[in-house]
Amino acid sequence: MLDWLKHINKEHPEFWKTYISKFGSKSKRYVILSTEKTGLNPHNDVLLSISAFAVVNDSILISDSFEAVLLQYKYLHDNQLSNEFIIESKLPKLSEPEAIKAFIEFIENAVLVGHHVDFDVEMFNAALERLGCGRLKNEALDIDIMHRKLHDITDKQFSLDELSQIYKIPISDRNSSSEDAYRTALLFLKLKSRLGIK
Amino acid sequence: MNTIAEHIADFLKEYAPFDQLTFQELSEIAANIRVLNLEKNKTLFQINDPLHDCFYMVNSGLINLYAIADAEETILSKCHEGAIFGLRPFFAKNNYMMTAKAREESIVYAIPIAVFRPFVANNAAVLDFLLENFAANSQQTKTSQNLGKSIISDTVFYSDQKAEMQFFQALSYNSNPIVVTADAIVKDVAQLMAETLLNSAIVCENNMPIGMVTHTDMSSKIATGRYTNTVSVDTIMSTPIITVIENVSLAEAQLLMLKNNVTHLCVTQDGTNKSVIKGVISEHDLVIAQANNPGVLIKEIKRSQSSKELKQIRLRLADLIQNSIFKNIPLTHINNIASEINFAIIKRAVELSILDLGSPPARFAWLSIGSQGRKEQLLLTDQDSILIFEDVAAEKYREVKDYFLKLGKKTTLTLEKVGYELCPNGHMGSNMLWCKSLTDWVKQYDAWMNTPGENSNELSSIFFDYELVIGEQKIEDAITNVVFRNAKNNTLFFDFLGNDALRKNSPLSFFKKFIVEEEGIYKDFFDIKTRALMPLVDSARLFALSYDLIGINNTYLRFKQLAITDPKHSEIYLNCAEAFLTLSKFRTLEGLKNDDSGQYINLEEMSKIDKEKLKNALAPMKELEELIKNKFQLTQFS
Repeated sequence: MLDWLKHINKEHPEFWKTYISKFGSKSKRYVILSTEKTGLNPHNDVLLSISAFAVVNDSILISDSFEAVLLQYKYLHDNQLSNEFIIESKLPKLSEPEAIKAFIEFIENAVLVGHHVDFDVEMFNAALERLGCGRLKNEALDIDIMHRKLHDITDKQFSLDELSQIYKIPISDRNSSSEDAYRTALLFLKLKSRLGIK
Repeated sequence: MNTIAEHIADFLKEYAPFDQLTFQELSEIAANIRVLNLEKNKTLFQINDPLHDCFYMVNSGLINLYAIADAEETILSKCHEGAIFGLRPFFAKNNYMMTAKAREESIVYAIPIAVFRPFVANNAAVLDFLLENFAANSQQTKTSQNLGKSIISDTVFYSDQKAEMQFFQALSYNSNPIVVTADAIVKDVAQLMAETLLNSAIVCENNMPIGMVTHTDMSSKIATGRYTNTVSVDTIMSTPIITVIENVSLAEAQLLMLKNNVTHLCVTQDGTNKSVIKGVISEHDLVIAQANNPGVLIKEIKRSQSSKELKQIRLRLADLIQNSIFKNIPLTHINNIASEINFAIIKRAVELSILDLGSPPARFAWLSIGSQGRKEQLLLTDQDSILIFEDVAAEKYREVKDYFLKLGKKTTLTLEKVGYELCPNGHMGSNMLWCKSLTDWVKQYDAWMNTPGENSNELSSIFFDYELVIGEQKIEDAITNVVFRNAKNNTLFFDFLGNDALRKNSPLSFFKKFIVEEEGIYKDFFDIKTRALMPLVDSARLFALSYDLIGINNTYLRFKQLAITDPKHSEIYLNCAEAFLTLSKFRTLEGLKNDDSGQYINLEEMSKIDKEKLKNALAPMKELEELIKNKFQLTQFS
């Protein structure tokens, strides 16, 4: 409970200080992210891959993107899982600390957007804690909540596939976190214009 | 390498000009693309907006390009999936000359010019493609032989300027003329001309043109008997030959023809008669260059050799219809022209199949049924047709039927390629059921009319609107006789038709509100086809059959004729005729706007005045309904 007291005088890594210093002004950039993870428990489960796209001025910037597969050899070994997909993947492979550092440098002070983004944020917070950093300070938007707000639905959650169907976004047969991030980004653009968010 | 960039590169690869680039290059472009989502009716750029740093490609949805003339928006072009637009920043520095607006919610790729320019510089084919399409006006874009999936649209000339612009445009002409030597025999040359459907041949010596033989020479010098057809061709050719340089303009060609009183010009490399022959320009080419004139279209249909060419012509017909409607040419007139052209296309499709399969083993008639049969097809709708062949000896029946089934299949496939969808109910000559001998058809009509509703074979009323496309007139007459003989005092049949006509859902609610679709993708749209047009069509047919109006298939004409035959109710009929025209026009406009059959009308987009007009057009149907109920005393079924 008094965890924060322990950290109060602790020295944070350099990249984290730079990150914190960016929050002086408000950002116009959105970062749409999607992750693959082993489960939803932030302390027992780990991130397997991270994909993200930036949205500026209502357009998705394909060049301003982030993709990484995380080498979670320890976790996979402990749980006796195969690491086949990591080997096959053509994406850049990073260890967890490297990936988290790169990702923090990528997002800067942008607004994070995702589908059920709270789980993702928790996963990042857990990973950041392991690196001796604080919690993410970015604002976060959830496209499921945006959709429910648009239609005043309170009693139901929508999966990414359901949302894609509603907004007529073609679902690709290639399933990956980049694919999901791209779809989320399109959904975000559509919802954003419908909700009139600047 | 980014996964999504790879997907985008996959998409780009499908369309010109990107198909000229390697996947590596495409990936590089794709990695720098921006993806935009445009909500419906959102403007991407406007006339006089400063240029963007990119051009655009449609990924999904529909973008319309407009020019504004006299405070009116004119659609220049519609950009579908894969189309490229907004190329202006490539070639010009001044502001946009048109407006791009999303017609539907669309996803658009913005391709930065800075990224794309190096590829253009290194690849001549890409540059040519872009230049050609940037400079082309809409008419040329559509008629050009470039049948690739995309049509780049960057039209900056709109109708007002078009007339002058095209006067100086380069002509497209036949670059593959018949070339014969001076000692060729006239008979052989004539044979060659007949086979290639060309009306001229160039006579040359040592590859230099020395004269020209045309239809006129053939008829005035051979057919009159002045020379026999075995003389050599140099005796009858017209000299001197008029030669022009390759990129001659329309105006110049026209002047040369008038000045020299010739119908053909020979194109040579340097414009003199001492160089290599490049092609021949005929008067026909001049006419084509000037307009999408219906006569020209029909002539071209008769000459076309493939479904591809027919498709081009059908596309131009759509332009013609659109222009005619905007110019307020009476709809009946447009209908006539459009149906003549449609018929010519179908006829040519049948002919092409016959050329392929060999001549038919028996006489036959190919009838268009449904809206085509009524000559009311303005938009591309599905094809409905039946095939009737004359009775043959029993032992030959199988073989003959096989042939005609093949003919039907081939023709419907050709038509499908041209753009007429196959009928979802299979009402086509390629269907076993609707490709039968005359006797079988007579039996079929007898059964339909004398025992309607029986045999579960639901009576499809479209079979009573038919029109001969190609084949024996006598066969059609025979069917007509059967229909009207059976119709005499056939209460049961009229009951059936009457109920069929009245069963359609009413268009307005009790409170005079439009009844709109309640679910599906057309939610809140008004179904003008089933709710407004079909009842009129069905009733017109019903009355026409009962009053013995033989040979009038068109709904409008049927009502007009009815007003004469049944003067007591002439007012109702005339109102219906007018209403029918108004409704058809609404449907056609909607269809042109969305490139579909126009069945569903979006009421939200209509102005108040138009809505009132539409409502007024629905009123006459009520009176007509009463008339049907009185006249046919619909009791047996209701």
